Amino acid sequence: MLSAQDLALDYRSGSSVAHAVDTVSLSVDQGSFVGLIGPSGSGKSSLMYLLSGLKRPTRGTVAFEGRDYGKISTPGLMRLRRQRYGFVFQQHFLVNYLSALENVMVGAVRRNHEAVAYAQELLRRVGLGDKLRQRPYQLSIGERQRVAVARALVHRPAVIFADEPTASLDQATGLEVINLLADYRTRGGGSVVVVTHDPAMLTGADWVLQMRDGRLSPA
Amino acid sequence: MENPLSLWHFYLRNKRKVLPVVGILALAILGVVVTDSLLASARETAYATFGSYQKLILVAPRATRDQDLANPLADSLTQLREVQLKVDNLDGPGGLSAYYDAVIALPARVRAQLPAVQQLQIDAANARYYAARLRGDLVPLGDLIVRVQRLQAEQKSFDQLVQQLTQNPSDPRPLISYLQQHQTWLQSVLPDSAQLGRLQAAVGNASSDAAGLQQSLQAMGRDTTNLNAAGQSVANIPIPPSPSGTIDQFKAALDRLTSSLGAIQAPQPGLDKLVADSARIPGTAFVKRDAYSNLDINLLAGNAQFDLYGFDQPGMGQLLSLYGDKVVAGRLPRADANEIAVSEEIARSRHVWVGGKVGNAIDELDRLPDTFTVVGIIRGPTRLGVIPLDYLTEHYLFERRYQGLVVVPQAGHEQAVHDQLQGLIANSAFRLFDWPYIKGKIDSLIANLDVINRFLILLVTIVLSLVVGLLNNLFFRQRMNEFGLLAAVGYSRWGLILRVAWESLGVTLAAWIIGVGLGVAVLSWFNLTFIVPHGLLMNIFDWNVLALHTLPIPLMVFVFGMGTVAWQLLRLDPISIIERRD
Repeated sequence: MLSAQDLALDYRSGSSVAHAVDTVSLSVDQGSFVGLIGPSGSGKSSLMYLLSGLKRPTRGTVAFEGRDYGKISTPGLMRLRRQRYGFVFQQHFLVNYLSALENVMVGAVRRNHEAVAYAQELLRRVGLGDKLRQRPYQLSIGERQRVAVARALVHRPAVIFADEPTASLDQATGLEVINLLADYRTRGGGSVVVVTHDPAMLTGADWVLQMRDGRLSPA
Repeated sequence: MENPLSLWHFYLRNKRKVLPVVGILALAILGVVVTDSLLASARETAYATFGSYQKLILVAPRATRDQDLANPLADSLTQLREVQLKVDNLDGPGGLSAYYDAVIALPARVRAQLPAVQQLQIDAANARYYAARLRGDLVPLGDLIVRVQRLQAEQKSFDQLVQQLTQNPSDPRPLISYLQQHQTWLQSVLPDSAQLGRLQAAVGNASSDAAGLQQSLQAMGRDTTNLNAAGQSVANIPIPPSPSGTIDQFKAALDRLTSSLGAIQAPQPGLDKLVADSARIPGTAFVKRDAYSNLDINLLAGNAQFDLYGFDQPGMGQLLSLYGDKVVAGRLPRADANEIAVSEEIARSRHVWVGGKVGNAIDELDRLPDTFTVVGIIRGPTRLGVIPLDYLTEHYLFERRYQGLVVVPQAGHEQAVHDQLQGLIANSAFRLFDWPYIKGKIDSLIANLDVINRFLILLVTIVLSLVVGLLNNLFFRQRMNEFGLLAAVGYSRWGLILRVAWESLGVTLAAWIIGVGLGVAVLSWFNLTFIVPHGLLMNIFDWNVLALHTLPIPLMVFVFGMGTVAWQLLRLDPISIIERRD
């Protein structure tokens, strides 16, 4: 479903070149849970940006359902992210002046009753059924991140990209979040790509890839 | 459920951030509405105050040298000064003072000549003495002369005897007869020795006395010459000035003064003819002599002089009929009375009603002599004020001097009558005041305020644009996470810009509506509490002001605020926001 071939991302600074991602090839099948692990600066987040279309690669290709990103315009890539991908970041990035439910609805592509009902269900599923109207500042950090997960799921994306979703959470809460994501693989049929530096979070992954110095190797 | 990113949510949930911006903008718009409306009020009030000119032409005396009261007085003064100079000259060099000094010095100078006179007296006395003596001396010599005369007579008898004897030498009878006849005579002719002695003495005395007489006469001659010289000096007194010339000049100056004073009292030259000629201009409804005056009133933009028409009684009625005005309280002024009737707005402006007083005794800026009593209040579409012509011209020299006339053209003939009037007055000491002229002056006055007002609006707009632009940027930075996330999850940049644009538009629109609404409220209150009571005019719902003049502020603020945010949104890198660890 999502594949990358000889993917590379270079950062140039004067005459020196840093290889954030160095000739990486991989494939993410539908309904799979892929974990990317590696130390800080290993290029795992950069790889995720390339896979999700947030960045264009220096070399190589990324394709989603056979469509090469290189042949998709920037607005086209935006639409792809908006409609087919879901994102969870290390920070929750909730909109302060919106309630938990409204924040979830920010991710919705269609804002009809069905979408609202689904958003409510998602919040219930993440244990926030009684906090639909709460504002982010009224929630704990773990709760906020769960709202962020619900926001990533609300439009039923094909792939969820989670970049260090548990970094600011304690172990137990982190695992709850990871389980929610993993649950989507089985319930929604979507794929999940989780980037983390904590191997404990990837116990449920179908396969885990190790990133080191921009290169990929099986863990 | 509505869109969570709807404007409603945004405004409702960001009241604390949005309301100050709305408030600032609304206050600025309120300020513009109020200042603009006050300016418009000043213009409208000024138009209304001088609205009477829309239907009449005032022909007023122009300030010229002939017209100026000061000039005939100055001429008279010049003449009087000349007379004064002449009078001063009487006492100047060679004048009365010198004459007086000479007369005063005369006795001393005469006394100084007294010794010479006394010497002359002595010399004259001596001369008389010697002359008398000489006459005495000559008495004996007279006897001798008689004897000689006798001898001369005897010379003839003797010559006859000689002739007879020559003819008849032998006849002795003539000789004997002669001797017999002249024996006694001969004895008397020949002096004796005593007589000779006296003669000799007399001759000696006479010689001495003659010398004395001669000396005395010579002394008298010298004395007389000296006295004559001294006498001339004594008699050399200045000739007193002749009064006739000075009196003539003085009289001429007084005549000119009288003439000047007469000219002052007369109306300006040419007025009667102009009144008559104006009435004959085709298209003229009526013409009235006008002893115009002014009342000092406030027009918001500053004090102004409201024109009062000094008409006769029929003229007052005609003037009110011309504009459709009516007396709603009291009556029109009576003839030859210090009374006035004014429009109610003007009365309010001066805080007077029937029975009230106006005039320069009350307000020094009133060009209305002494005190006039308000006897009537006029109401109608045009603001008017009337005073009696005769009272002004009969009681006040200046008003009599500065009369004008009012020419009322028939509808549609305004320009033609104006042109004809202009031709009539030509270069004479009059000038025309009509509506285009007055309106031009008002517009010119307001134009300066307009420029200041526009400058202020521009300044406010620029400052507000900067302030709101900075606030927008600040607000935008606070929402950077929101925009970063939305960009990351696939919201388009232009979509985000449009969203911000709607947000800004809503804020500025709300501020505009609130500002205009507040403006209307403030103006309504101000209108009731100040404008109307002061006889001013204000159009609260002037759409030019409310709509057009206030728009630049929200428009500029929107454009500037949006411009800066849009620029940042276009440069937004969602990854840099995602990767932030703050």
